[in-house]
Amino acid sequence: MPEQQTQQQLSPEQIKALQEKLKNMSPEELKEFQKKQCIFCQIIAGKVQSRKVYEDDSVIAVLDVNPANPGHMLIMPKEHYSIMPQMPDEETGHIFAVSKALSNAALRSLDAQGSNIIVANGIAAGQRAQHFMVHLIPRKENDNLSFQVPQKTIGDSELKKIRKVLSDSMGTKAEEPVIVPLPKISKEKKVVNAEFEEKKQQEKPKQLKKSKEGITEKKHKTKTQESGINLDDIAKVLGAR
Amino acid sequence: MAEKMRESCLICQIIRDSIPSYKLYEDDLALAVLDVNGSNPGHCFVMPKNHYPIIEQVPDAELSHLFSVANKISSSLFENLKVQGTNIFVANGIPAGQTVAHFTINVMPRKENDGINLQWKPKQLTEEEMSTVELKLREQLKNIGVKKVEKTKKPAAVMRKAEQMHISDDEGDYFAKQLRKIP
Repeated sequence: MPEQQTQQQLSPEQIKALQEKLKNMSPEELKEFQKKQCIFCQIIAGKVQSRKVYEDDSVIAVLDVNPANPGHMLIMPKEHYSIMPQMPDEETGHIFAVSKALSNAALRSLDAQGSNIIVANGIAAGQRAQHFMVHLIPRKENDNLSFQVPQKTIGDSELKKIRKVLSDSMGTKAEEPVIVPLPKISKEKKVVNAEFEEKKQQEKPKQLKKSKEGITEKKHKTKTQESGINLDDIAKVLGAR
Repeated sequence: MAEKMRESCLICQIIRDSIPSYKLYEDDLALAVLDVNGSNPGHCFVMPKNHYPIIEQVPDAELSHLFSVANKISSSLFENLKVQGTNIFVANGIPAGQTVAHFTINVMPRKENDGINLQWKPKQLTEEEMSTVELKLREQLKNIGVKKVEKTKKPAAVMRKAEQMHISDDEGDYFAKQLRKIP
């Protein structure tokens, strides 16, 4: 995401002053501030030039200036969100419906034979821009692109634990017995991150209100007191980069 | 033919419970399961219950729902498993790395240095090449329009427009056939 490079360098004093300023801001001011700093918001506002291929009320798609492949598009909500969990469902749905249409267009007009859709939430996931975006990369055979998603063997007990935590939080309450692990998992070396396990033990499955429709009511942008991690914090870290 | 594919489709078998899985979430349209050989603990798949090989065949309403389920899982990974980041990853078509002929969304928890690499080396295109790509795409996208929709209608109206872009059955078959070559 080369647009980043255009941001000017700040001296240490300036950075300190900025951090001080950020601390004293209300959430609304902070959002406004992030928006001003965000190069993609400026693209959306038309203040920075871009190669726009699609636009509607809430979504815009531009060509990436440093594409992974010809036709690599960035699909962004016009509203400034740092990460996907901050977005309302309606907008999430719409942005991917647009992505589908764009993928379709790439297959037809650029002779692409497939496409990858990639979203990164958080720096650990490879996110570099502070504006949420969907990457759509048209693919062809032998295009010298390869995304590596290594496979690890995850133990049955860990899978069960994770399933419980996640399904509880989604309000679905997966039943204990249903499932037996596939045969191959048992004997191989177990890849477990110690830190991960430790954290898990401290966790109590959260009591969440359940709505009739299951997940529809689940909060996804605000933090609750007991949940420990704050999505806004993740967003802020991104904003500070 | 379609019936036969459904029978042999690995994911349809998971949906029918003929293959055991760790289900997380299920409703009329969507199913989410944990990947036993995931990239990290908590790696999930979200898939439509109906059999669609590629994204272009999934109706917008279902697609929106699938991605909002994926978003819920991603939020939950942040909040409950305290992961440092998440990726949403879709491989659509064989060159993109799709291995099962049933549309699937990967939701992957991330931590630093976990061996997942979704980065790419930028390709250098000349201004001219970029313009050609831009023009071709715009031309193709004319139908769904860059023009604004009236405010009252918002996304729904646009989505209906996008729907008109649906791949015709023939083309859908073509892409689906490509996928059948997968072992």
